[in-house]
Amino acid sequence: MSIVLKGVMQSPVTPLKNDFSPDYETFEKLVDFHVRTGATAISWPHHKAESHNLTMPERKALAEVAIKTVAKRVPVSIHVSALAVEDSFDLARHAQKAGADAIIAITPYFWKYSQESIYQHFMRLGTEIDLALIAYNSPEYLDGVEFTHELTTRLLEKLPNFIGLKEASFHSEKFFEILRAAKAINPNFAMIAGVEYLLPSVSLGGAGSYSSAGAICPNLCTQLYAACAAGDWPLARTLQYKLSQLWLLFRDQYPSSLKGGMVIMGRSVGPTSSPLPTASKERIQYIEKNLAELGILDSEPYGW
Amino acid sequence: MDGKNNTMNKFQFGLVAQPLTPFLNGQIDWATYERVLQHQIHHQVDGLAISTHTGESVSLTIPERLEQMQFALKVADGKTPIVAYVSEAGTAIASEIAAKAASYGASALIACVPYYWTPPQSMLMEHFKAIGQAGNLPLFLYNSPVEMSGVKISTNMVLELINQLPNFAGVIDTSHDWQYMIELISEATRIKPDFQLISGTEYMVSASAIGATGLLSAMSNIAPQLTRSLFDTCAKNTYDVAYDDQVKAAVLWRLFHQFSLPGIKYAAQKCQRSNGQVRSPLTELTPDEKLQFDQVWQSFDWLSSEVSGF
Repeated sequence: MSIVLKGVMQSPVTPLKNDFSPDYETFEKLVDFHVRTGATAISWPHHKAESHNLTMPERKALAEVAIKTVAKRVPVSIHVSALAVEDSFDLARHAQKAGADAIIAITPYFWKYSQESIYQHFMRLGTEIDLALIAYNSPEYLDGVEFTHELTTRLLEKLPNFIGLKEASFHSEKFFEILRAAKAINPNFAMIAGVEYLLPSVSLGGAGSYSSAGAICPNLCTQLYAACAAGDWPLARTLQYKLSQLWLLFRDQYPSSLKGGMVIMGRSVGPTSSPLPTASKERIQYIEKNLAELGILDSEPYGW
Repeated sequence: MDGKNNTMNKFQFGLVAQPLTPFLNGQIDWATYERVLQHQIHHQVDGLAISTHTGESVSLTIPERLEQMQFALKVADGKTPIVAYVSEAGTAIASEIAAKAASYGASALIACVPYYWTPPQSMLMEHFKAIGQAGNLPLFLYNSPVEMSGVKISTNMVLELINQLPNFAGVIDTSHDWQYMIELISEATRIKPDFQLISGTEYMVSASAIGATGLLSAMSNIAPQLTRSLFDTCAKNTYDVAYDDQVKAAVLWRLFHQFSLPGIKYAAQKCQRSNGQVRSPLTELTPDEKLQFDQVWQSFDWLSSEVSGF
């Protein structure tokens, strides 16, 4: 259970065939691509992997592919959040059996949960599943349901396998309060920004980030983290601002635009499943123009 | 851009304090106010913002606000720049304050959104343009959507205003929102390289790492040494060194945020730099609130070096 989460960790998208069924072969290529291009961990399926649009058997089968493809080169965490909590536990038990290193789970969906219910949920996940546990905080998407620093403290006092938190409030105060509370109990606790906002997260003592754009520009991600870790903040700012322009490009119709951008990079992963739109030809041309202007086509790998 | 605008845009914000306004029986206590200002100058702030919400601007009459600016300029005696807070819901009134502040000798202007009207971006543009043109000094806009009915200084409006108002110098942010701050400074500096992002709270490490070069500080009233030290280590990009100061600043900030301005004035009283009085409609902390406040405050043993009167 002693895995280290640090640097820019990749959460692959889910390649689909034209009939919207999972494209296992391309998924294998994508996971391998991420590991070869510097991902310090793999985590799947985050929402950008269209987790909500996959069936339970698909999620299990793809999780097995991810774990097998990574083959212990870096830690693998499986995102087990599902609308029905019992499905989450089913996915978590499967992840453990399949050989994942960790599970990651968001605060439960839909209802307005109290802090006590969130506590009970994570206590159950952390004790019934014998894997490292990463919590996922995304108050903006979950109508204000969030992980507070008090909750983090309570869980850490009980769960030695609670090793990190994906923080997607992108808010200095919230991030720092959870970090301070967690580090007081476990100095190695990993605060991971939801996307590559490395300037604020690393400067405050965070471990790194997950990634929005790693399938487009893995070199930029690696360079940005290296600059932050080396304390070269002027360089880090330049790189972060460039990534910010990419994020503006992909945030619109995420993850459809991301999949569209991958076509340009020679790493097509098929359509995006309904109700998400699939990037149109015009959209892809627009993205290509922007990637060219940003120098991405020259500085990042093409193809697998 | 012509030469005049270039010089005009050279105002570097740095660490600007927001002095409290002391009251005695509801009236400005000018003798104490002078000591409040001198105390901040003594602790080497780079500027004084007269008078922001922290200085109870919303409870001051316009003649009082103008008098404070003139008074502060006299006390600062050309050694510390005065930044005039010119916010008003009415454009004509705000513009007039801006013009007067400029004529007195202020170095820069700060304006927040006229949130009462829940304005659309087009209305905000006209409002800020009028203020900026009337004052013709470096103008900083204050983004505080949570406190101001959700009205935001959007990145799109900032980019538009940069094109239309040459003396628009920067944005002061209190949102703590990484996405906003990174997008804003990254996009704005592409069309105006000397555009400044200023942190409006003492979460300075993350703000500085993102690219904020200034701090508009209320905390300097209470912990001027801590605020200066935090700002300086961040300005040097040494965030690991700044960590301990950042922890202290964060706990203080949260305490002040919880108890708002009456809490800051109560803290100033504990530092022997205030009588704790606030102007109506604000009220002092209740005895119960004071007890709660004291419980946290007592744990700040590191504050003892800051508790020294003037």
